[in-house]
Amino acid sequence: MKKTDYLITGIGFVILGIGLYMVKTLENVQGVILTLPYILVGTGCGSFGYGMSNIISKKAISKDVKLQKQMEIEENDERNIAITNKSKAKAYDLMTFVFGIVMLIFALMNIDMVAILLLVAAYLLVHIYAIYYRLKYEKEM
Amino acid sequence: MKNKLEELRKERGIKQEELAEAMEVSRQTIGSLENGRYNPSILLAFKLARYFEMSIEDIFIYEEDSE
Repeated sequence: MKKTDYLITGIGFVILGIGLYMVKTLENVQGVILTLPYILVGTGCGSFGYGMSNIISKKAISKDVKLQKQMEIEENDERNIAITNKSKAKAYDLMTFVFGIVMLIFALMNIDMVAILLLVAAYLLVHIYAIYYRLKYEKEM
Repeated sequence: MKNKLEELRKERGIKQEELAEAMEVSRQTIGSLENGRYNPSILLAFKLARYFEMSIEDIFIYEEDSE
């Protein structure tokens, strides 16, 4: 796990570096290439921050065995898991409704068909994923 | 679901933190169980019953209309 954190941090740092270099050096570009450096800076910062925070937090608790045990208990606590799952389920229900409304608004606004289709595909993907797990758990439980 | 957890714990002079540590759950879980706000999984119910050397039915009181 620690190796993965260092890897994510390193990759993030490299992507960030490439992004910053592209911001400084790219000239007279158009289209997607124009936004690419900023996307790289964004994803680089995100990966670097995520990896670094993991490394720091793990280092901070590595010397305190009691705290480590407490955190493990909090993570595996059945009530905490039940609360997380319940809130995720509520958020899923809300997302279904919100996605539906957004699709309708996009359609009424005459937004580009590609954007609407992408949203519909994302909406369907989430629902297919939910159906897949429902069937899987029905077999398992 | 009602239960006698708080009563049993206090009888034995155990703190919520100690019971939580023994059950490997958070202190908040023990608090919620005692208040009847949270019903434990069957595994936790067994663990609690073993800890107090009692049967599950002696700790948790099932009432038809409690659901």
